[in-house]
Amino acid sequence: MRETVADFEAKLPPDGLKTLGPYPLRQADTVDRFFGNWLTYLGWDNHLMFSAPLCVPLPPDLPFGALVRDVLPELFGEHPEFEQIDWQRAQWFNSNQRFYPDFGKSLEDHGFGHKTLIRFRTPALEGIRREIKSGQQAF
Amino acid sequence: MDAPVKKKKLGLKDRYAAMTRGLHWDTTYQPMEKVFPYDTYEGIKIHDWDKWEDPFRLTMDAYWKYQGEKDRKLYAVIDSFAQNQGQLGISDARYVNALKLFIQGVTPLEYYAHRGFQHVGRQFTGAGARVAAQMQAIDELRHFQTETHAISHYNKYFNGMHSANHWFDNMWYLSVPKSFFEDAFTGGPFEFLTAVSFSFEYVLTNLLFVPFMSGAAHNGDLSTVTFGFSAQSDESRHMTLGIECIKFMLEQDPDNVPIVQRWIDKWFWRGYRLLTLVAMMQDYMLPKRVMSWKEAWTMYAEENGGALFKDLARYGIREPKGWKDACEGKDHISHQAWATFYQHTHAAAFHTWIPKEDEMAWLSEKYPETFDRYYKARFEHWGQVEKKDGRWFNQVLPMLCQVCTVPMLFTEPGDATQIAYRETSYHGMKYHFCSDHCQEIFEHEPRKYVQTWLPVHQIYQGNCYPGDINPESPGDSPVREVLRYYKVKGGEDNGDFNTSHDRRHFSKWSGRTEDDGEKNHA
Repeated sequence: MRETVADFEAKLPPDGLKTLGPYPLRQADTVDRFFGNWLTYLGWDNHLMFSAPLCVPLPPDLPFGALVRDVLPELFGEHPEFEQIDWQRAQWFNSNQRFYPDFGKSLEDHGFGHKTLIRFRTPALEGIRREIKSGQQAF
Repeated sequence: MDAPVKKKKLGLKDRYAAMTRGLHWDTTYQPMEKVFPYDTYEGIKIHDWDKWEDPFRLTMDAYWKYQGEKDRKLYAVIDSFAQNQGQLGISDARYVNALKLFIQGVTPLEYYAHRGFQHVGRQFTGAGARVAAQMQAIDELRHFQTETHAISHYNKYFNGMHSANHWFDNMWYLSVPKSFFEDAFTGGPFEFLTAVSFSFEYVLTNLLFVPFMSGAAHNGDLSTVTFGFSAQSDESRHMTLGIECIKFMLEQDPDNVPIVQRWIDKWFWRGYRLLTLVAMMQDYMLPKRVMSWKEAWTMYAEENGGALFKDLARYGIREPKGWKDACEGKDHISHQAWATFYQHTHAAAFHTWIPKEDEMAWLSEKYPETFDRYYKARFEHWGQVEKKDGRWFNQVLPMLCQVCTVPMLFTEPGDATQIAYRETSYHGMKYHFCSDHCQEIFEHEPRKYVQTWLPVHQIYQGNCYPGDINPESPGDSPVREVLRYYKVKGGEDNGDFNTSHDRRHFSKWSGRTEDDGEKNHA
């Protein structure tokens, strides 16, 4: 049986939207619209030369190792500290949740999904130094 | 002396009553609530529309005469500006980029405001408020027109203005003003007035108009100054409508207070996020600076706004929730925004540049706590890269906030070294935000904001390519194809100022460049 707008709306969590009539759910960025990819957000903590985290469509079966080897250099490679990153020591976060990547396993294997935010932190490289010595770059 | 006896004219007050409230009637063929459904559905309770005060007491015939006179003066100035090649008298060609931002991002909002006020003028049942809204609707249409006419002169000589309306509907950074207004006029009429008349026009408008208009005055742009004067008397009327509307709602019923408070929280924050673009313009795009964004915020928001919210406290209204975060942001947002546009300006329809040495010194002086500590080294690095390897552009698209649609460039309150991330899930999907306040706006009305047209996501969905491009494989330079769709002419409208046509042309026509410094103002 075809679902009516009213049936559908009844299943939605309550919200404060006041309307004069039916107001169907229209999610603009559902996963089916990205040609099989997942939108993935990538941010390098404390490094603001790239002034905002970046957004790229990635295939769910992309191995994590390929993300680090092939994708990240395309994204962040022009930062003067990028070359110095020791990937063995990098700390990874799925949003705020620390995780320990397996370079041989895919994004999907890691439990990621469409619109996952992956942050990494490079403890030895502080980006903006909190105390700036003269002649040091801070970004 | 015998004077002929004239028929007695109506006094000002009676005349006003006849020309506004006297025009109202209640419907009889259809029930009022069917003809005016928008008047009540937001939950605002109005018991007596006659309590609405009309401080200006302007009637349509007087309005018409008054605006006609202003237009005649304005167009005389615009004509003489054109005949005297006024564009050659500006401080330097970098200034024109402020005008580009204005025609791309502000002028279309005038048209949106026109539509919004027409809607309110139709939907309210109170005649005083309807007349005020209808007059404002005409003002806004007039502003759209006069701004377009004033700036069209610059369009003959400079890039970055030829497709402003198309850009407003499509380009990534213009989704910020566009989504602000679409959010406002898809709310009900009372929310619209709280958003536009109160939060924007009353609380924040000085932060929009003063920087642009005094910026124009300082930088030798007489035509924009004159437009500003012509609009100013309208703006004071608009601000009065904003404060009157808020007080009216609050006085009509105590149940209105929490609804209005929520709207003030929301629209203060949305307006503040939108003003990020103005902050950047003020600190970086004006060759002759007026005052810093921080100074403007301190004066117009903290001092005036602080007094306003003290005054509203007697109704049970407190300052907007985002107030403290906005005040902290005054030290940061202009630098963060310029850094963002600097790296994405190959995909924008105006130019950016590294501030010159004396400009860096000005920024250090105006932002003693933050500029040297957090931002200066970044600009110096880019300046060195430009000299050594050529101009750097960030080729990857940024993550955007689901509500304000600004790239996620804002840092955590209390920590200017770390981007602020917020997120929530709704109906099986994650949503990301730049701040607690954008998240809260989303969570109150998620069904509204899951629809947000986020330019970055739209590009990846393939919706921003020309018709001859297969969105699944857009070729070796997707950015180039997106620019073609945007109607941005590569190498003309976009990129760094230093290599721009604008710079070359202006220097050739005027014999001056931005390096001439004080000489420009002799």
